[in-house]
Amino acid sequence: MSRISRIRFLAACGACVAFLIAATIFLLAIGRPPLTTLAQMAFYAFGDTYSLSESLVKATPILLCALAVILPARLGLITVGGEGQLYFGALAGTAVVVGFPDGPIFLLLPMMLAAGALGGALWSGAAGLLRARCNVNETISTLLMNYVAVLLVNYAVYGAWKDPGSLGWPASIAFPPAATVPSLWGTRVHIGLIVGVIAALILHVGVTYTRWGIALKVLSGNRKVGAMVGFSFMQQTLLVMAIGGALAGFAGICETSAIQGRLQAGLSVGYGLTGFLVAWLSGQNFLRAVPIAILIGGLIAAGDALQLYAKIPSASATILQGLLFVAALGASGLAGRRSARYG
Amino acid sequence: MADETLLAAGSWAAAMLRSSTPLMMVTLGETLTQRVGIVNLGIEGQMLCGACVGFAVAAQTGSPILGLAAGAVAGLLLSLVHVALCLGCEANQIGSGIAVWTLGLGLTSYFGRSVVGGKVSGLEPLAGPGFADVPFAGPILTQLTPIAPLAIVSVLIAGFWLYRTRTGLNWRIIGESFETGRALGIRPMLVQAQGTLVGGLLSGFAGAILSVDYTQTWANEMTKGRGFVAVGLVIVARWNPFLVLPVVLLFGLSEAATLRLQATGLTLSPYLIGCLPYVVCLLCVVIVSIREGRVGGMPAELSSVFSRRS
Repeated sequence: MSRISRIRFLAACGACVAFLIAATIFLLAIGRPPLTTLAQMAFYAFGDTYSLSESLVKATPILLCALAVILPARLGLITVGGEGQLYFGALAGTAVVVGFPDGPIFLLLPMMLAAGALGGALWSGAAGLLRARCNVNETISTLLMNYVAVLLVNYAVYGAWKDPGSLGWPASIAFPPAATVPSLWGTRVHIGLIVGVIAALILHVGVTYTRWGIALKVLSGNRKVGAMVGFSFMQQTLLVMAIGGALAGFAGICETSAIQGRLQAGLSVGYGLTGFLVAWLSGQNFLRAVPIAILIGGLIAAGDALQLYAKIPSASATILQGLLFVAALGASGLAGRRSARYG
Repeated sequence: MADETLLAAGSWAAAMLRSSTPLMMVTLGETLTQRVGIVNLGIEGQMLCGACVGFAVAAQTGSPILGLAAGAVAGLLLSLVHVALCLGCEANQIGSGIAVWTLGLGLTSYFGRSVVGGKVSGLEPLAGPGFADVPFAGPILTQLTPIAPLAIVSVLIAGFWLYRTRTGLNWRIIGESFETGRALGIRPMLVQAQGTLVGGLLSGFAGAILSVDYTQTWANEMTKGRGFVAVGLVIVARWNPFLVLPVVLLFGLSEAATLRLQATGLTLSPYLIGCLPYVVCLLCVVIVSIREGRVGGMPAELSSVFSRRS
């Protein structure tokens, strides 16, 4: 093993240890037996078929949102817009369902999914356009646009799209069967998961083995050199932002259709933010994002289960995510410093 | 007649100042942090922590001043995480900021449950109700607490300190060039840590102002992205504390204006109106970003982390 890869391996181990220590301290602080609780979490995440399927349900939007962060990162862009793209995608996809609730399945379902992806692509592409044309920092614009997208969904479900039959509950009409994303294996897992995995594979091949990948690499390193050999930063920015946004928007409409069955305000429990975490844990690598998304999906599913059975608020899952993020960033930062020393 | 106009103008000014005070504090904090070459997106989480802890302490002790102080300390403590990650481990600053935000979000929604529905009494207004009819100054004096003038004065002091004192100069040197700073015998890490911690203190304080003095409630995620709006406004204010004042006040004016419009019977969904701060902030950032080359002002060391421009 080369020195650099040994340092990377040690960093990953160090991050795990640091996270376990931090998680133990947190669990002790809230007065829970740390070992039992962690074992319980592992069980509720992957212990039986039902837990596993719930973990995969959570992992689906997380994976798609992570891909939406990784692809722009390959061009050197840092977007935190998964949440907004997910919401806007859900909004655009629901517009189709609200407009044509009686459409036949072979028309309604693909139209809905396409509208969802298109919505996400537009939302993210807007930030990309601002970046490429006006030099607006994409991190700021995507963060701000997250809040706008959430408010727009609220506007729709409290306003024009509110289902009169829902007795005041702010939600759109229930999606008809023709607009329900098919589920897999008789569980709540839906085709969004398959799409996410395939997208990760395609994107990995795309950025690793094609001319496009070289364009991204050159442009992320030095834009002037990229321009000299005929790569357009503007074009690539729009492209990666739009593809990423389309994936997150697709996640949004799938979540709405398959899991919630209607558009409502609390559509996502921070999947965009969790996707960002997964993207960074994977080292902006598409393939590694798949298992990590499933692990983190398990953490969130376990958080929900613990809330139900052990009365630990599910916010604990957010704290654990934060601790994991801190541990991973610290370890990879230290590893980067070590490997820089060895060239 | 003239009196009424003046009173209306006064109440506009009061509304503008009230809504922009927390934002002014957090924008000032982020400005100082970015002046030493550190971007801290975690101020959103620090604000939340400040709001939650400040509210809890104010509700427990019944003293708003203690609450504000506790909120500031909470923001400071959370910013220690950012210092440890960015300076101790040389981690990516944007990633670290998001991690701090996640932590703040989780911690406040976990521990904030116990303070939901608590009661706090805000600070006393500057003047009693007897002054309400004084033209222009009346509404300002009766509606504002000492926090608003404090925020304005701290912005001015910070600007004066940054541009007119030796330590302020040291901070600006570090923001422009670590190498020059080192050659002059300034320790970049130390100054950067100070800058980040000051930002943490001010953002926690801003959060506490929001929960203890302004809304006098605590709710989950109550800062609603004000920290990120502040990061945008720092860009608009060109990293200059003196410019923070007009930028934040104009921003507060637009917020107050929409609230007033709504009160006049304009039927517009509160959710659409809620979009306005983010849209206005984004538009301002777009406008100054287009003029980037001409207006300048970004600390040079910042450009390597924040806007990769090659």
